[in-house]
Amino acid sequence: MPSDTSSSTSDHDFDQNPQSIEEQLASVALTLSDGEPSANQETNGVVRELVNQNTQIAPEEQVQCNSVAAEEIGEVRESSNHGVVWGRTISELEMDGPSSPSSSGYAGERGSSSASSESITDDVVEQHEIEQVRNDDTIDGISDSYTPWLPGKRHEDEDDASISWRKRKKHFFVLSNSGKPIYSRYGDEHKLAGFSATLQAIISFVENGGDRVKLLRAGKHQVVFLVKGPIYLVCISCTEEPYESLKGQLELIYGQMLVILTKSVNRCFEKNPKFDMTPLLGGTDIVFSSLIHSFSWNPATFLHAYTCLPLAYATRQAAGAILQDVADSGVLFAILMSRHKVVSLVGAQKASLHPDDMLLLANFVMMSESFSPVCLPRYNPFAFLYAYIHYFDADTYLMLLTTSSDAFYHLKDCRIRIEMVLLKSNVLSEVQRSLLDGGMHIEDLLVNPLTRSGSSPHLGQHRPPTDSSDLLNQPYFGIGGPTGLWHFIYRSIYLDQYVSSEFSAPINTPRQQKRLYRAYQKLFASMHDKGVGPHKTQFRRDESYVILCWVTQDFELYAAFDPLADKASAIKTCNRVCQWVKDVENEIFLLGSSPFSW
Amino acid sequence: MGCSSSLPDRDPKQLGRANLENSGGGHDAKNLRVKLVLLGDSGVGKSCIVLRFVRGQFDPTSKVTVGASFLSQTIALQDSTTVKFEIWDTAGQERYASLAPLYYRGAAVAVVVYDITSPESFNKAQYWVKELQKHGSSDIVMALVGNKADLNEQRKVPVQDGIDYAEKNGMFFIETSAKTADNINELFECHAISDVVSVLGHSLPCYQKTSP
Ligand SMILES: Nc1nc2c(ncn2[C@@H]2O[C@H](COP(=O)(O)OP(=O)(O)OP(=O)(O)O)[C@@H](O)[C@H]2O)c(=O)[nH]1
Ligand SMILES: [Mg+2]
Repeated sequence: MPSDTSSSTSDHDFDQNPQSIEEQLASVALTLSDGEPSANQETNGVVRELVNQNTQIAPEEQVQCNSVAAEEIGEVRESSNHGVVWGRTISELEMDGPSSPSSSGYAGERGSSSASSESITDDVVEQHEIEQVRNDDTIDGISDSYTPWLPGKRHEDEDDASISWRKRKKHFFVLSNSGKPIYSRYGDEHKLAGFSATLQAIISFVENGGDRVKLLRAGKHQVVFLVKGPIYLVCISCTEEPYESLKGQLELIYGQMLVILTKSVNRCFEKNPKFDMTPLLGGTDIVFSSLIHSFSWNPATFLHAYTCLPLAYATRQAAGAILQDVADSGVLFAILMSRHKVVSLVGAQKASLHPDDMLLLANFVMMSESFSPVCLPRYNPFAFLYAYIHYFDADTYLMLLTTSSDAFYHLKDCRIRIEMVLLKSNVLSEVQRSLLDGGMHIEDLLVNPLTRSGSSPHLGQHRPPTDSSDLLNQPYFGIGGPTGLWHFIYRSIYLDQYVSSEFSAPINTPRQQKRLYRAYQKLFASMHDKGVGPHKTQFRRDESYVILCWVTQDFELYAAFDPLADKASAIKTCNRVCQWVKDVENEIFLLGSSPFSW
Repeated sequence: MGCSSSLPDRDPKQLGRANLENSGGGHDAKNLRVKLVLLGDSGVGKSCIVLRFVRGQFDPTSKVTVGASFLSQTIALQDSTTVKFEIWDTAGQERYASLAPLYYRGAAVAVVVYDITSPESFNKAQYWVKELQKHGSSDIVMALVGNKADLNEQRKVPVQDGIDYAEKNGMFFIETSAKTADNINELFECHAISDVVSVLGHSLPCYQKTSP
């Protein structure tokens, strides 16, 4: 079957009554994505065979350990003559083949391989433009209320028998290859032993056949699996996020686990396959729930880049200089951060810090002054480093990483030196000011487009003096008119950093922000879809906004506009945004002599 | 209940010489530094005890400690001497158990905490006492603390068990509540520490607010 278009449309027929995850799981459509896209036909055969076997075999173990699931599997087996057709959704080879219009919302077209240009023109976009699709179904199940997020585990009383548990939009599970629960986003791990065993049975069943199960589709639900040695990670979601995004999230959860325990935890499983890992993760629910929460507000989780706090170049230089000083005295990494943004960071010779490690580290530490073992999975997944953490105030903190377990007093002295310099050069007060002022405000671009080309522009230079200016009180279409730019993210590929504009009307609730990030994320996944090859631009319109995405060798730009925005002017605006970013790059990025080679 | 008076019979002059440093470097007896480490099962209230002592606050949503956190608090004595406590509040989670020596090494005082509503935590406290006896410095001063004394109705560890165990092991004993602040200052200001401080010829006032 050369194209999956025809059959994947029938995917939705399959989903006649979306019910509990288990029922869905039972009526699985297996997708094996290890095979190359060209091997569709063959893969389909494998899947069909596998599914057929699955319907017949339903491992005994499974029946014992989870009567509910087993029953349901049985039910499906019987009901296959009521119209459940196993082979039906098989061809839905997610992500490895070209994405089909019906499943991803836009059809891909291979971008040209021409060198990146400094600006896009209407022509270029026209040439590479992806079919504009009106997609009424892009709003995935965002049901979160406006109540502020509180850390910690919710709904601990739930288990897989609770209706509420079954209705959750996105589950994350971690289990061992013997089926022992390790972590569950909702509900008490220990009560989910039966459910875990079911997941384990599915994974090992497929693995024994020499294939790796990566994605199951069951109606609205996607079940994504990630196998990491003896540890299995599973996401069950009906949020319509692409497979690649969900897989990336599982990778981060696994990474967070390594931050806490290192990969040497694998040895516990070698010694004892029935090893119970939950005690080793005691008290870390909050770490995982805050990571999972960040999937919906922190673009670093899908961009694999970090972001800097906007600061005057000289201020950041001052911070960098003292950190460098300290790094030369035996500190592996010195990182000064404010919330999730980097003020400055420095690594000892040749040591490089991966943006994902920074994300996971920042998510893990939250203590006024502490000294703890941590592992940086991208740096060395087997070894602990020691992290000295000090909070200068509620937002701003220093992390000094070393390999030496008794460096505390040395690091404390380093911190005192750093603190003195930071105070003397007003870095800490500048950081506070930047937190208040924010970085790139869309209004700044639109208020004064002409002065922007002037020499040595500064961030916020043209901003109206007060936030209560008339401009900001106008309804949103007052900002830039119906072709208005609402938001953008610019990711510098060379620097592994991104900058995101400040949110403003009409995208000003966490829920809207989350929705926009999900839309970016979807585009990001499709732009990076290896099966399709790198796109150069995409212009996508739905009833919420127009998103224009533009990728060159140097950067990626994701920009959201009013849904009525006109393409030509959107492109013009994108060019202006890129120029703007260039103009202020000294302030929004950490540049220069960093020894990082990615 | 105040400080237990079951003072171990040891020679105070032997105490903590290596562990007490003067911040000035020489024997500036006006400014003393006492390194203190808290050990005990996760959730017994170590962080809350320290927070109560250092900031006078109680955080019912206190987060699990990662590794160990370091806090200091300086108190002034009547004779204008100051004592600066450098406190290691260690993580009680199992995965950090092997790191404990990092933090108790060089400590003059070890405070081993359990939760009076949890017999397991009392067992864990005994584990820590044995570990300190085996691997800690020989002149470390130990205190046994039964925390959450405000939860007396849910008490599972009788006071007498604590007193007996402490006596047998030459430890100081006190029951505290980080929630109500009961006996928190007493813990830091009473015999265990004054004993250490008296090595250098000073005595800490034992305020005895609640002790009979
Ligand atoms: N009722 C009562 N609760 C307390 C008291 N002290 C602490 N708690 C509660 O016990 C829980 C754990 O307290 P922590 O101080 O974080 O425990 P910990 O010993 O530091 O735990 P780890 O950091 O994991 O080793 C918190 O929810 C506190 O609110 C107390 O004196 N009375
Ligand atoms: Mg604690």
